[in-house]
Amino acid sequence: MKRGSFVNFFLVHILSVIVLLFVLGPFIWIFLCSLQGEADLFVVPPNWVPKRVILDNYRYIFTGEIPTAYEVRGLIRSRISQEARYILPTLLNSFIIALAVMAINLALASPAAYAFSRFRFTGKTPLYIYVITSRLLPAMAIAIPFYFIVQSLNLLDTKLSLILIHSVYTIPFSTWFLTLYFGEIPRDVEFAALVDGCNPLQAFFYVLLPMAIPGLSAAAAFAFVFSYSEFLFSLLITQTLKSRTMSVLIASLANNPDVSYALLSVCVVLAIVPLLLIGFFFRNYVTKGMTITIFK
Amino acid sequence: MLRKSVFLVVVLVVLGLGFNAFAADKTIELNFISWSYGVETVKDNISKFEALYPNIKVSYSDFSWFDYHDIAVQRFLANTPTDVMYGSDHWLQEWAAANWIVPLEDYFPDFKNYEKEFAPYAVEGMTYQGKLYGLPYYADMVVFLYNKEMLKKAGFDNPPQTLDELVEQSKVLKEKGICKYPLALCFAKNEGQSIEIFTSLVYSFANGNMFDADLNPLFEKDGAVYKALKFLYEALNTYEILDPASLTWGEIDLVKSFGAGNHAFTFVNKYNLAELNNPAVTNLAGQFSIALFPGETHSCVGFVRFYCMTNMAVKRGKDVIDACGKFLNYFGGKTDGTYVVPKRWALEKGLGFAQLPLYDDPEVVNAINQWGNVDIEKEQAKLARAKQGMTPFYGTWDIFMREQIHKALLKEISIEDALSASAKYWNDLKQKFGKK
Amino acid sequence: MFMREQRFSYLLIFPAVALISIFTIYPLLYAVRTSLYDIVLSMPFMKPYVGVGNYQAVLGSYYFRGSLLNTLVYAGMSVCLVTLLGLGVSFLLNSPFRVSGVLRILILFPWAIPFVVSGVIWKWIFNSSYGVFNGLLYTLGIVDSYVSWLSHPFYAKLCLVTAHIWKEMPFASILFLAGLQAVPRELFDACRVDGGTSWSVFRYVIFPLLRPVLLVVVIYETMIGITTFDLVYVMTGGGPGDSTSLLSWYTYAETFKFLNLGKGAALSIILALLILAIIIGYIRVIRLEEVY
Repeated sequence: MKRGSFVNFFLVHILSVIVLLFVLGPFIWIFLCSLQGEADLFVVPPNWVPKRVILDNYRYIFTGEIPTAYEVRGLIRSRISQEARYILPTLLNSFIIALAVMAINLALASPAAYAFSRFRFTGKTPLYIYVITSRLLPAMAIAIPFYFIVQSLNLLDTKLSLILIHSVYTIPFSTWFLTLYFGEIPRDVEFAALVDGCNPLQAFFYVLLPMAIPGLSAAAAFAFVFSYSEFLFSLLITQTLKSRTMSVLIASLANNPDVSYALLSVCVVLAIVPLLLIGFFFRNYVTKGMTITIFK
Repeated sequence: MLRKSVFLVVVLVVLGLGFNAFAADKTIELNFISWSYGVETVKDNISKFEALYPNIKVSYSDFSWFDYHDIAVQRFLANTPTDVMYGSDHWLQEWAAANWIVPLEDYFPDFKNYEKEFAPYAVEGMTYQGKLYGLPYYADMVVFLYNKEMLKKAGFDNPPQTLDELVEQSKVLKEKGICKYPLALCFAKNEGQSIEIFTSLVYSFANGNMFDADLNPLFEKDGAVYKALKFLYEALNTYEILDPASLTWGEIDLVKSFGAGNHAFTFVNKYNLAELNNPAVTNLAGQFSIALFPGETHSCVGFVRFYCMTNMAVKRGKDVIDACGKFLNYFGGKTDGTYVVPKRWALEKGLGFAQLPLYDDPEVVNAINQWGNVDIEKEQAKLARAKQGMTPFYGTWDIFMREQIHKALLKEISIEDALSASAKYWNDLKQKFGKK
Repeated sequence: MFMREQRFSYLLIFPAVALISIFTIYPLLYAVRTSLYDIVLSMPFMKPYVGVGNYQAVLGSYYFRGSLLNTLVYAGMSVCLVTLLGLGVSFLLNSPFRVSGVLRILILFPWAIPFVVSGVIWKWIFNSSYGVFNGLLYTLGIVDSYVSWLSHPFYAKLCLVTAHIWKEMPFASILFLAGLQAVPRELFDACRVDGGTSWSVFRYVIFPLLRPVLLVVVIYETMIGITTFDLVYVMTGGGPGDSTSLLSWYTYAETFKFLNLGKGAALSIILALLILAIIIGYIRVIRLEEVY
């Protein structure tokens, strides 16, 4: 028995390290790239440990001070595009939009999930299926009509338009997930509250929701991540910095000749930072939330 | 007496009001979009323009070059306010046929006078059904660049004059270990340049044409198109002098690799040479040179990107049309007898221009000779030809053609099959669009 | 036990349903309507009704068969690998050691970043001149010079799949973990007491209980696999040739590059029906009584 668990221990740790390397490797590499100048990146074989740590690219993004050494600027292109500095405002846009989408999801999907999981009413099953399958149509088909809708509402090039669209895309999944989740929460406490004279709404707010925090966190995290990653609609609807999101900017920077690979890496690293924040806040709940949800 | 003074007051008041109405600041807002190149310079040009015309305000947005066409289409579809914008010769047919942009000479007859000062391939690229649709932003050619130092090391004093010579020199460079892949190109699937480079190769052969006068594809065996594709195929597979990564490279990737000293030859837009030979940028500056496009005819593709006016602007009324005219004239035409903006692009970034009088400007000549060669450039410009087959469905066919070229190069299908599939697709499209 | 408050329920679901409807019904009708007409933007004056003409044109077009194959292979490979690897990793995550706790937190990061960013990162990793993947192979002596992975039709597909599973596998593993943790310990022990090996524990205890999770993972990943656009757009642009031109890419190309709105809409609807068919197929195969 002891021998078995030693092998077990060993195996688990080795495999975990391999998985960690695979999962985090690219991040570590990009982070290292962001600390160097492009000339240092154009070597064969690559410098596994950066020869020179250069913070110039970070400084450029935050203060606009243009790096002087050509090694830092990037081979061949003497100009550094201002576009790279847009990463900060676009990050803010993406973050705000994602937060709003998260809030809307919680506000709209949890009552709906409450209804689907606790009530019986005519048309419940068709409505449920309607809500969940509304997401089946590929984004491309509806990109143009979405554009028309947004334009007729006079919301073109606003964050609000993206908030609406992203919410529409995430509510089906949130509703489905929360319905399952609420379904697994025992109803005894709620019934006790109802018997004591609460109405269903109060039972929802004061009894169910507090018990459901892990699941709600998981749903919130999904919504945030989806909105933060969304690319196609953002590409078509945003035009100026007012509403442009991080994903559109990064795609554009990747094709911008005046942005060196090192500078691009800096932008990618910065784009990941808000996710680290969210991950930090929700770290305990996301996994726990998913855990209780799906079992018979 | 009183009546007279009242009358006087009334007249003065009326005059005063009338005067106010005239002097009233009717600010006209123009919506201008472009792709993201030299955005800081564009913005500076805009402020200079606004200073010249204080009652015109320009609202400017820029988009990545790779997405520009698709985003423009989206805007046209949904009538997102756009008044003046960049266009390119290979979209002209599409956009003019859809009535999204309008012929400039209908609204500004003076612009017709500019035509004789523009390079012929540029005029061709901006004309649809006989009318002028734009004023040039910049015009350039696909030229032949080579690395002087590498050739010298291999023992060659002169660059190759024909494609066969290029192959021979490349073989020597490869054998001597000077570079692994002497030739590199930007042939990524989403790189719009690739068809222009391919067409240049076609033009370099005697009687090199992609389409005949009736727009029939000339893709038969042993025609110029066939020979061009065969050249690429052999360079990649038989002699292995063409870098396979070319199939994934956009223009930037190619220029970075070329400028890092990895290759000896390439065909690319001329303005890149300005960057390659800029000593503030790289210590390999000065090694790169331009030469006439190798081939029997030394011909190549010239293309033009231009400013155009949209139908939306026209619908907004006479004031807006006037403002657009002023904008177009400032950016693409003459102010006080000089082509101000094109000259600035030439001096600061080495961009090519279609406005021929600029070649007589000593400042410009000097600037060009810093990194390039004015004489070769002028000579090449005489031999440059516009792309053929400009039709509303060229863009659709272009994507299919790129796929076929890739497949032939990757040995997935034979050259004959690739070209016949491409010809068939072209003819089908032609028929469909001809069925109007 | 369910409550019978009809009006209250409708009130609860109204906001969600209303929002979804505005953005679903009109676009759906628009898409269907567009697909029935021959609308090509560069021929704006002729928009004849063609009924199923667009669908026929799409199904018979030069790219459909090849692209469908590519898409199914891509989705198939992605789903299989994501599911298998996710399942394997979930066992790691379920182990009692402290390292699992760390892994659980860190593993979700690839999933959380946009496909676009992931595409940019992996394109740089597979870069033919300076990429770190080539660097790794070169340093380890596996190759003697850098290879341009993204310019070989076959390897380009593998690179795409790698980037895809890097991003999606963590999500699947967390879902499987949830399922694993729901398996009551008694069942485990009972099976072992009865003389079961690890494999039979897996087969008779764990797997059946994981079926609901498996369905969720497989359905979701199939949807993602078939509709992947961002990743292809950024990493390969559909090339080289048409080796990575998935159906989603052609949907984009038809609408925005060929300016053929009719066919673009038709292709999108075909894709949606394909996804629906596959989902129904899954549900039949895994044969669950309830999905909710």
